[in-house]
Amino acid sequence: MSEERTPLLVLGLGNVLLEDDGVGAAAVSLLLDRYDVPPEARVLDGGTLGLSLLPCLEGADAVILVDAVRADLAPGTFVRLDGDAVPPAVAGRLSPHQVGVADLLDGARWLGRYPRRLVLVGLVPASMDLAVGLSPAVRASLPELVERIAGEARALGVVFRPKTAGTEPAVGPHVDVARLARGQP
Amino acid sequence: MARVVVDPVTRIEGHLRIEAEVDAGVVRDAWSSSTMFRGIELILKGRDPRDAWAFTQRICGVCTTVHAVASIRAVENAIGAAPPPNARLLRNLIIGAQAVQDHVIHFYHLHALDWVDIVSALAADPAKTSSLAQSISDWPLSSPTYFAGIRDRVKGFVDRGQLGPFANAYWGHPAYRLPPEANLMAVAHYLEALDWQREVIKMHAVLGGKNPHLQSFLVGGMATPVDPDSQAALNAGTIAELQRLVAKARDFVTRVYIPDLVAVASFYKDWAGHGRGVGNYLAYGEYPNDDSAAPALFLPRGVIRGRDLAAVEPFDPAKVTEYVAHSWYQYQQGDGAALHPYQGETSPAYTGPTPPYDLLGLDSDTDKKYSWLKSPRYDGLPMEVGPLARMLVAYASGHARVKALVGAVLTRLGVGPEALFSTLGRVAARGIETQVLAEKMADWVDGLAANMAAGDLRIHDNSKWDPASWPAEAMGAGFHEAPRGALGHWVSIRNGAIDNYQCVVPSTWNAGPRDAKGQRGPYEEALIGTPVADLGRPVEILRTVHSFDPCMACGVHVVDGRRREVAHVRVR
Repeated sequence: MSEERTPLLVLGLGNVLLEDDGVGAAAVSLLLDRYDVPPEARVLDGGTLGLSLLPCLEGADAVILVDAVRADLAPGTFVRLDGDAVPPAVAGRLSPHQVGVADLLDGARWLGRYPRRLVLVGLVPASMDLAVGLSPAVRASLPELVERIAGEARALGVVFRPKTAGTEPAVGPHVDVARLARGQP
Repeated sequence: MARVVVDPVTRIEGHLRIEAEVDAGVVRDAWSSSTMFRGIELILKGRDPRDAWAFTQRICGVCTTVHAVASIRAVENAIGAAPPPNARLLRNLIIGAQAVQDHVIHFYHLHALDWVDIVSALAADPAKTSSLAQSISDWPLSSPTYFAGIRDRVKGFVDRGQLGPFANAYWGHPAYRLPPEANLMAVAHYLEALDWQREVIKMHAVLGGKNPHLQSFLVGGMATPVDPDSQAALNAGTIAELQRLVAKARDFVTRVYIPDLVAVASFYKDWAGHGRGVGNYLAYGEYPNDDSAAPALFLPRGVIRGRDLAAVEPFDPAKVTEYVAHSWYQYQQGDGAALHPYQGETSPAYTGPTPPYDLLGLDSDTDKKYSWLKSPRYDGLPMEVGPLARMLVAYASGHARVKALVGAVLTRLGVGPEALFSTLGRVAARGIETQVLAEKMADWVDGLAANMAAGDLRIHDNSKWDPASWPAEAMGAGFHEAPRGALGHWVSIRNGAIDNYQCVVPSTWNAGPRDAKGQRGPYEEALIGTPVADLGRPVEILRTVHSFDPCMACGVHVVDGRRREVAHVRVR
């Protein structure tokens, strides 16, 4: 949550306790395992923090949101929304504190700090019941989602380079909830 | 190309539903229901108790810290770990920053919309708004030019249809009473608060790392290194930054939030007569002043029964129980039982209607189950928890600063202490608490600096980290005051793993359903007698429900005396 401007923010969203709703966190975690984060990008698991994410969002010129997206498509299907299509897609969301992604985007807009480019990528969930870890359909599509995020970043002029083989993935102290969301204890 | 319909993914952690029966413009009865099962307890069984906080901190989307704090305290209580002074001070700062930010967000970004008519602000005269602002505070952002700019900004958003957070309210409702100038001032401060809260929550970034979720909790202490000579630790530079942020937090609360609160409240004094509620108040207390097993608390612990401020009872943890008589759970020994959290059971048994449904089909003496929340009781009684409970317990316990501020606000409004037991009392208590905490936080920063100067850099008690040092069976309770009230976690550990885990959260205390004796929960009781001018736009019901600061999105149903549903409103 630093003051410096970031050309690109990749922000995973969702609740890791609600099965496929944790796909944003899981994707961010796998992205960090597979790629080195270039200096012009920040990669964060934003959970369901809503307005508290404003300091992260407003410092970014371009933002890639990563989230579960409900659609009339098979579970695990990749979905992409761009620019003005993003706010309506998150508008009906109810958050625990009634402050969610829609409020985050509204807040940035009202303060004149809306990102120049906004993209939402995600997967269609199979289940959002109370559980840690992803459903098989969403887990199977997770690597594709991560490659798509890297592709979106490239299109925005920010290149994530694959880690060299044998690099140990970064693991947080003791328990890493985002890794658990991927089904990897 | 196939057409793709994209729906929002509903980020629900519990959706609150109020059904209210209104007769002759007044609420006669009310039912509070949570429509989503929460079963974090089932996820935790069998896991390492040292990891529980990382899971529980995700229960509530916005209060990322509160379940982490309750969890580490419960495990520390079970295994006998004793966090050192620096860990206590860091936790106090994290908890305090969370409360101050959360209360201000609640006032400006959730609750204000029940009292402030944003659209009316467009009719305001900037010069008169400036006079009003300068009459209540010396806050510098108060010129006619400033307010004209805000008005034009709002107008621009209205004209472009980008009302955003203000889109779905009841603008123009007769229950809104502020003049346009007060509304414009409130909108300006809404935007300033949005900007300000980013700064306050930076305290969490300083104390918990750059990630938006704090990573620095640890059973036995904290994971934040304290070392004046290290760039990678809490050092002299961090202390200076914390002092700056604390001062900034206090300045806004003192010069904007509190004056606004008093100004808005002065137009709604009749709300000191609505939303009385159950009249019993429970506070676990918070902000330990020392490092003993039973520390003195800056905000005291205690119980008040029947609005009797002359007698604060000591809190006895054994008297906390939960009923499921009206909740979609089963108890092995029968659903009339009341179980202490250590014996708590989480066995879901849904018997409600199949969604989507219009009404739960309840009447005043219903024996139906109607909520995913249990009914917590203390010594058999429903208890209100939250800022009002904390401020009443502090006031009745003789807390000097709380008494002074409560007295000052009551005097400014020209009302007596009985006005506190109300919807308006909850709003006022939240502001008073914010002021008290914003002032107190500087002491904790100074405490950290003093410890550093004295060479005490301890941050963690690792003598109990190894599960081999634990007894085969251990039980512990962790008590915490979250922004919206008393939060308890109870953990049973067997052979190093979690055997049972129960959370009794503030919104369960406040929003829970009736118990086996038919006693209403605090929301339900507080709604009795609430006036409702327009059944289709029940802003008055929202005022009372929102005064508790529910942690769940809320839908409201209004039913008239003939049990015909007349309004079905999904609210903001």
